[in-house]
Amino acid sequence: MIAYAALAVLAGLLVGLSRQINGRLALSTSALESSFWNHLVGLVFITCIALAIGGLFAGNPGDAPWWAYLGGPIGVVFIAAGSWLIPRIGAAHTAMLIIAGQMISGVLLDVILGAPGNTFARVVGVACILAGVWAARNPPKREAKIT
Amino acid sequence: MSDLARSTQFFHFTAAFGAGGLLTLMVLCNGTLAARGSLFFASWIPHLTGSIVALFLLLILRPKRAARVRPPLWVYLGGISGGVTVMLTSATMNTALALSGTIALGLAGQVVFSLFADMQGLFGLPKRSPTPRDYMSMMFILAGSLILIFLGGGA
Repeated sequence: MIAYAALAVLAGLLVGLSRQINGRLALSTSALESSFWNHLVGLVFITCIALAIGGLFAGNPGDAPWWAYLGGPIGVVFIAAGSWLIPRIGAAHTAMLIIAGQMISGVLLDVILGAPGNTFARVVGVACILAGVWAARNPPKREAKIT
Repeated sequence: MSDLARSTQFFHFTAAFGAGGLLTLMVLCNGTLAARGSLFFASWIPHLTGSIVALFLLLILRPKRAARVRPPLWVYLGGISGGVTVMLTSATMNTALALSGTIALGLAGQVVFSLFADMQGLFGLPKRSPTPRDYMSMMFILAGSLILIFLGGGA
């Protein structure tokens, strides 16, 4: 159990690592080119692992609805956005605001899809996140003089 | 902070927040693929279509290179780290941690890494020290996320 927890934390660390490396690549090239290499290198890597382990086409992938295939193009914009933002607002702000946006849009999506959930907890959670986002922008004037 | 800097910051923050929204849609798409096909398939397909779309966009938009010198080779390896992430999360999702535990611990990993990266100016990105205000903002966002992850669901 502890080992799995460590793996889950490691997955989060790797998300940050990949964003930091892609951000560095974007500094030398462009956000879009960084997103392209991220996808191409990831594709080669996953292809190798899948060939070694097998089962890439297991199940009934053909049954998936057409819109499920849009994850790739969305990811291109997502990775480009992260690579563009990280040198501008820093790793912590980038990570926190992406998390905030993901959480709140997740609640919206659940509401739209009619997924069951605790309304009170949703309202408190979203309010907390919005308060955090508000605190992140709007720096007091004292700090502004230093920068 | 000048008005211009403030509106630039507002734009950056809105973009990051919006990117989080894109992430939700991406997870929905890839999760739907994973429900029908294998986890490899659900990661392989978006990388394949993403590579093609990004290549087309590069050919059409031809964005300017920021530096004439080619960066060191290792900066091209961010995609591997992303690929490993997919495998780790699909492994832990099916343990007692479940999806909620996997997401919550993943958030912790991201926060720790991003703070470390900012303080070190890791990989040559701008160095910055988080302010008390940043920590406060982070606490609120994390607390809200944990409430949504563990209490907001239907279970």
